[in-house]
Amino acid sequence: MEDVSLHILDIAENAIRAKARNVEIRVIQNDREDTLILEITDDGMGMNEEETKRSVDPFFTTKAGKKVGLGLPFLAQSAEEAEGMMIVESAVGRGTKVTAVFKLRHIDRKPLGNLDETVRCLKAAHPEVDFFFECLTPGQ
Amino acid sequence: MNLKEITQALQLSVKTGEDLLDRDVTGGYASDMLSDVLAHARKGNIWITLQTHANIVAVASTRELAGIIIVNGRTPEAETLRKADLEKIPIMSSSLSTYSIVARLSELGIKGDERV
Repeated sequence: MEDVSLHILDIAENAIRAKARNVEIRVIQNDREDTLILEITDDGMGMNEEETKRSVDPFFTTKAGKKVGLGLPFLAQSAEEAEGMMIVESAVGRGTKVTAVFKLRHIDRKPLGNLDETVRCLKAAHPEVDFFFECLTPGQ
Repeated sequence: MNLKEITQALQLSVKTGEDLLDRDVTGGYASDMLSDVLAHARKGNIWITLQTHANIVAVASTRELAGIIIVNGRTPEAETLRKADLEKIPIMSSSLSTYSIVARLSELGIKGDERV
């Protein structure tokens, strides 16, 4: 994945497969704290505790006929490469929230990419889903 | 050429898949971006990378790669080795850089993608 926007595309597709009707994508760039936080929250079917734990395992997937599920493991790796981390919180019937924290000025932190275009693609491909997108820059 | 011959010629340290080194190597691919490897590496390729995350095993397994060489003396994470054992992915390591490993593989006749 070249940039953060590709990760967003991937994680948002997970949310849509989980039958989400609302997907919130938030990018918080904090210069003072030197953090870049990506939050993707959905109201899809969610996962139980065991599935949530296994969701970062590249050999775990809920897709039929597939052996690997790389969306979350790749995002976790990207965050870790930039001295950050990823957290997945989920509840069955309520939805999932994925939070990835990157050190903003880490030399290996991936660029944001074209966020507007990514959100436009998601909206065009999934007109039945409401996407809420915001980019915040606190501390500026 | 198989993994055993490569391992001996390049003096690689075998981390996993000691019993799988008779696998034939169809060519080589070097990249540290996993999505790029998923898109471009070919079945039976030896993959040269500095990545050590367990995700490399999933990539190698998906693309049916012959094995992985981890460069620059990096140590694969424990979870990576555990997954590689389970998925039967040989992992070798070297203190050399990607460039040096690729140069030596090339001398051994291991080709890359030469369509262009």
